Amino acid sequence: MGAMTQAGAEPSVDSAEPARWERAAALFVRWREGDSRAMDELVRLMTPPLWHVVRAYGVDPALAQDVVQTTWLTLVRRHETINDPLAVSGWLTMCARREAWRVGKQHRRADATEAESLEPHLPVHESAEQTAAQDDETRRLWTAVATLNDRCQRLLRIVAFEDRPDYARIAEDLAMPIGSIGPTRQRCLAKLRAVLEGDGWRGDDDGN
Amino acid sequence: METEDFAADAALFARMRRMWEDVDPVPAELVDRMVAAVAVEDLSREYALLTLVEGTLAAVRGETDTATLQFSDGTTSVLLHVTATEDGGRRVDGWVDAAALAIRLVQGDHEWSAEPGEHGRFAFDEVTPGVARLRLVVRDADGALRDFQTPQFEV
Repeated sequence: MGAMTQAGAEPSVDSAEPARWERAAALFVRWREGDSRAMDELVRLMTPPLWHVVRAYGVDPALAQDVVQTTWLTLVRRHETINDPLAVSGWLTMCARREAWRVGKQHRRADATEAESLEPHLPVHESAEQTAAQDDETRRLWTAVATLNDRCQRLLRIVAFEDRPDYARIAEDLAMPIGSIGPTRQRCLAKLRAVLEGDGWRGDDDGN
Repeated sequence: METEDFAADAALFARMRRMWEDVDPVPAELVDRMVAAVAVEDLSREYALLTLVEGTLAAVRGETDTATLQFSDGTTSVLLHVTATEDGGRRVDGWVDAAALAIRLVQGDHEWSAEPGEHGRFAFDEVTPGVARLRLVVRDADGALRDFQTPQFEV
């Protein structure tokens, strides 16, 4: 695992709990030591963020599920190649990104006219505790994010779901020079904030 | 960069996480299916054994020959029907009386995966004759995942 860059250092929101990558590493070590059930927990912990990282590449839902499965099977088959167990969560997301990028490229070539990443999705499920205000907030945030270009949308989604972003790798995937990812992230965030503020958004203040 | 900028960025990323979780949620069952897919792939895992309750572990001998095997642990049962194919291989049709999430036939270095179908049905179309065992992960009545394997049998 490379050293954290300044741009990648996000403050831990809930510092009482170990970070997701730390929990993933502990489970991976337990599995390697012979506790097969630890793998179940690792899969439960990491499948949701992997889904979002893969979907960030505009891969359709059915293919995205295949990509997530390929990622897990690759881990089981090639886990010996991971020297540092602390790296397992970064290894998984890198593997998923590489596969999503490969699959997404084929898919885009085959279906070039479909601007699927810009499809307006509205919230598809409602939970009982969700208030109307939160729904409205989600809708407004989604509408604002949808005004950004594909590259910004993808980058923001990957960063949002990776707790240890590997900036060199993301830069390569997005065909951007390494080193520009921090500033690019800042530009994408700034654009998003500008759109939100134009819409009267005051959501930054009330924490998580 | 200022600490408060980091905090504001982190808060906005947390909002975006919730937004994406809301507009594009992880499909129902994806997590369980991934757990099952990994479980049947993980050869180091210890599976509960289903025992043979009917049939014989011996091979199907020729094109007109068929074999029916039933395995059970008292709660979960698997029925396998083995037939010879025109190409000299074997076809294995199966049925399990629980919701299967992943099914795999393991034979030395070879492995075949079957898609769980309607009403617990599954099939391996073309299997090399030889000694094999079946591995499967099912969801039991309580919603818990359980993994099983059969003894080795000849196909």
